Formats: sequence, C-alpha cells, structure tokens
Amino acid sequence: MKLASDPEVEKFRGEFAAFLDAHLPSEAEAVPRPRSSSDLPEWARRWQRTLFDAGYLLPGNPPEYGGCNATLPQQLAHQEELSRRRIYPSYNPQGVGIIAASILTFGTEEQKQRWAVPILRAEITASLGMSEPGAGSDLAGLRTRARLVTGDSGEETGRRADGGDHFVVNGQKVWTPGAHDADVLLTFVRTDPDAPKHKGISVLLIPTSTEGVIRKPFASIVGPDDLDFNEVFFTDVRVPRENLIGELHGGWAVAHGSLGHERSMLWLSYAERMDDLIKDAPSHEEWFATLLMDAQALRLLGYRQLSGEREPAELSVLKLLGSEAVQAASLHVLEAAGPEALLHPARTAPPNHMSLDAFTASWFERYVRSFAGTIAGGTSEIQRNIIAERILGLPR
Amino acid sequence: MEFEFDEDQRLLQQLVRETVAKSRTLPEQQLWATYQDLGWLEAPPVELAIVLEELGYAADPTPFLASATWFAPLAGRLPQGSGTGVFDGTGRFVLDADRADEVALLTRDGVTVVSGPELGAERVEIFDPTLHVAHVDAPDLVAGVPDLALMGLAISTVGSCRRILDLVLGHVKQRVQFGVPIGSFQAVKHKAADMHVAIERARVLAYYSALTIAEDDPDRGRAALMAKAAAGECQQTVFADGLQLFGAMGFTWENELQIHLKRACAGDLLLGTAAVHRKALVA
Repeated sequence: MKLASDPEVEKFRGEFAAFLDAHLPSEAEAVPRPRSSSDLPEWARRWQRTLFDAGYLLPGNPPEYGGCNATLPQQLAHQEELSRRRIYPSYNPQGVGIIAASILTFGTEEQKQRWAVPILRAEITASLGMSEPGAGSDLAGLRTRARLVTGDSGEETGRRADGGDHFVVNGQKVWTPGAHDADVLLTFVRTDPDAPKHKGISVLLIPTSTEGVIRKPFASIVGPDDLDFNEVFFTDVRVPRENLIGELHGGWAVAHGSLGHERSMLWLSYAERMDDLIKDAPSHEEWFATLLMDAQALRLLGYRQLSGEREPAELSVLKLLGSEAVQAASLHVLEAAGPEALLHPARTAPPNHMSLDAFTASWFERYVRSFAGTIAGGTSEIQRNIIAERILGLPR
Repeated sequence: MEFEFDEDQRLLQQLVRETVAKSRTLPEQQLWATYQDLGWLEAPPVELAIVLEELGYAADPTPFLASATWFAPLAGRLPQGSGTGVFDGTGRFVLDADRADEVALLTRDGVTVVSGPELGAERVEIFDPTLHVAHVDAPDLVAGVPDLALMGLAISTVGSCRRILDLVLGHVKQRVQFGVPIGSFQAVKHKAADMHVAIERARVLAYYSALTIAEDDPDRGRAALMAKAAAGECQQTVFADGLQLFGAMGFTWENELQIHLKRACAGDLLLGTAAVHRKALVA
C-alpha cells in the first residue's frame, strides 16, 4: 500500500494531459451535438480518430487497435484525466467499449479488420442488441431466433446443425441504445432452441441496412426528444455466416466477455457522477459527508480491484455501492434545491462543449438518470444476488 | 495510489489470524504477553490496522487498542506495560483507564503521563461486559483526538462487523425453514449483501486513514473522520441486519453473536458516533 502513484503512471498522465490541451476540439468545432449514443457528427468522428491514431482511444490496446499497451494503472489515469475535464473519448461508447472490444477478444483476424477497426476509427458506429421484451435480467432467456441455412432456398440445415452459409434471423430486441443511428448491431440470438438456455446462444453482427431490420426509437422518461432507446424488429433477416462472432452456440462466453468489458471500469463512471455532484452542489448538510465518503470509498475499492488479485464478482460491490450512492446523493441535491429544482430544462453545471447534456441537465433529470445506474448492466437486485451467492457463498 | 496489501502485509494478516484463532481460550494476561512478544504494539499504522482488524474480529479482551492507539500517539512512545489516553476534554468513558499501567492526559499545558494505579479511575458498568471503560477525574483537560485513535477504533469495529457477518452466514446456511436453508431466500441474501458492502466501504476507508497517517499525508485528518463515520454507519447496518437475520437465537445471552454486536455498537458510540463525524466532515 502506498499513496504515491508510480512515476511511469504520472509520466503517462502528464503526456496525455498535454495531448488533450493540444488537440481538444474548440467549442465552435463541436457542433452539432450527438443525438444518440450511436450518432457521430463529423467533428466527433475526427476527435475519436485523433485519439485512435495517438494510441489514446483504448490505451490498453496495442497501437493497431487504438492503444499504446498501457498498464491498468495508466488506463485508470487516462480515464481520470478525461473525467476530470468531463470529456468523452467517444460518443459511441458501447461501440468502442463493448462491441469493438468483444470483436477483438472473440473475433477472427478478418473480423477485427473489417468491423472492430472501423468502429474504433469512427468510420462506423455500433449498438448492442442484448435485451428483449422477455429477456432482461434473465438474458439467457432470449428468443430472437437465427436459423443456419444454405442457399436461396432457405432450407434449414437441421436444428443444431452447423452446416449452412448464412443465418435467417427473426425476433425482437428492445432498449438497444442508439440503434436508429448505428451502422451495425452486435446481436445475441438463439441458434439452438433445444439446448439448455445458456448453450444455444450465438452472436451476430447485423448491419442495420440489411433488409428486414426495422428500428423504432422511443423516448425516455426525461423528455420526448430524448431518443436513444429503440425497439429493433428482425423479419427474415439474412446474415452471412462470416458475421458470426465467436463459436456457434458459444454466445454466452461473449456475453460474459462483453459485460466484463462493460463492468471492469464501470465504477469509474459512478465516481465521476459523484465528483460532478460534489463540484456542482456543495453543501454543509450531513448527506454531503456521506457523498464524500462514498466517492472516496468507491475510488479506493477501484484502486484495489486494479491490483488484478480480486475476483471479478467483487466488481458487483463497486457497481452496487457506486450506482446507489449516486442515486441517494442525486435525491439529496434535488431536495436541497427545493422548488428551484422544478425548472426543466435547466443548466446545473458549467457549460462544457465536450460533455453530454446529462451532465448539464436539470436536477430532476440528473436524479432520474441515476436509475440507469441501478437498472442497466445488471440491476441492483441482481448485483445483490451475485454478492450473496458468489462472494458470501449463500445457496442459489 | 496502490491500495492492496503487499506480500509482507498479507503474511502478517495470516499470522495474526492464526495466532488469534489459536489463542482464543488463553487467559487475558497470556494473550497480552503474546502480543508483546510478537511486537504488534510497535507495528506502523497500516500493519497496526491489520492487527486491530483481527483483534476486533476476535473481540480481544486485552488493553491492546488503548495502548497502541490512545496512549502511544499522545505520549509519543509505547507504555511501560499497558496504557491509555485522555484526549476528549471531558475524561468520561476512557477505554481501559481502570486497568492501564500508564495514562496520558491531554491538558492545557500539554501531555502529562501519570501512573494508572495512582490515578485510580473506577470502571463504569456498560452494556458490553468485555470492554473496560472508566471516568477519569483530572484538571485542565482539553480536546484533541489523535487520528490514530479514530482509525484504531474504526478498524476494530470493522473487525467486529466482519465477525457478525460470518456468524450470520453460518446461521443462514444451516438454518432450515420451509424445507430449505433460509440463506437461499432473496430477502436474506440481499441483507447479507448490504452488510458485506457496508463492511467493504468502512474497511477501505479505515485502511486509507492508516495509510495517510503512515505517510503523514495532508489528508490524514479528513481520512480519520471518514474512517470513524463509515465504521459507525457500517455497525448500524450490520448490527440491525445481523440481529434480524439471526432471529430469536441471536437474542439470547448464550449466543456468541451478542458479544460482537455490543463491541460493534460500543465502537460507534465511543469517541463520537457516525453522525458526529459526518457533521465534522462538512463543518
């Protein structure tokens, strides 16, 4: 244990900070604002590509994939420098952080070049199609069906057969953030309906321009213009076999990998939200002390996790603590503002052209968005189950 | 920041755990002699926290906590024998003041060390029968709580809370109702998970406090307040959920649970509760 950071980390931090100072798009450049999590205006594409070329997009990656082989503590320093300035490295965060990362882990060399690199270089954007109307927390219960068939006849090659040159997909996804602006969807489908539910899932990259893909964006609780959620319908959608990511029927491993990518640094986003509240709504009330303690404890747990000697299940402690602390503090801030908090829309933070609106939204919006933290990426209830079963050893 | 134990610290933790488990039934004097032989009183802050967490886990009956974290930071040295300190300006509810060989007093004129037997403080009856607490009558006392004392009580309380959770987990895994272990019920699991999160939160804040003291970091004062507040909050969650999950069996005198519940609660009440330290943080 020591307070000081490694000199190699501080050197990296200094270089990255200097890079940001030199290359950040100006306020005049950063127009228009991205409309959804898969909408990349031209300036946002240039910005992401600048980071890619400099090895600062996903610094843990090798240079050919937008990184500089940075160590874990260096990756954390990278995130800290971005969040301190409220800057987004990519405005297609799931595309870069989950989908490209999954392709780099599970894809073939050809798939990496054809899909992952263009996503990382902001040539295309990607959204994640996991949840369905009947499959949320119970993701393995998903029912969107993909049949492996041969030729134009569409003759099925058997219910669990692995012959065939393309898939035919039928079914529906929901939430699918930014799907209406995405070029491609990483889609979890059922390829073997007879296998136990975890063992019959596969993952397909489905271009949204494919015939039979229909995307219907719908608004969130925040307002009718807040369009990120989508229903995505698949009707006899033909997907070439080469778009299969990972093993046929081996999608559960990819799902775990994807969520792993999502979760490993997810805690930092809650720490950022707490830092924002600390900066934007200072108070001498007791709840503010709780916020300070939660923010400090979350960072310490995060640093500890970085040692690499901790079980992945312990990330559930960070997610639960972080998301619920943000929510509790957001409610206190809302209440502290009193009737002023009724104003909506309203600016509650200094304007920042590199930040998304969520950070400069009304107190109500900031509070209500905190529920994304306790619902998405495994609800708080699921996190508690994971902690109880995998860390504390209670029976399933 | 690197926030994981190094190899030596892990070995120390292992040694303390084994020693404490082995010597649980030894008389108090022998325990005290063992701790002195092993040099635990001299441990620097992070290592001291490792020792104190395990002693808290074991509901240690010796005057170790008071000697290492109440006397030493005030007197600037270890006590001859056992010791404690008076630093809250009132002299009320001083840990081990009835049995310490030396007592350090924080007064208007600075720190004075006096002989415990000569001071003659009398033990006060409190709800925790294993803990020694006494009122000290001395002139010109002033307040100035050492960071180490807050950290020490915080990490000891975390140790008590860990013990409560372990006892509760043992109970809910073997207690069968409706044909299944009650630990399989989600209502039970979720309380257990909340207890675990509260412990982890308080634990890292206590070790952060120890680390800032070890490095004499400017954040040490704030870190000590956070550690004590978080340990108090942790105790409140773990006490309530723990006693609830243990059901009526936890409500009996003969169940071991009561010892640790009382230790944990006393750890919150001594030197200022969670609320007191939350207020201090935002004053």
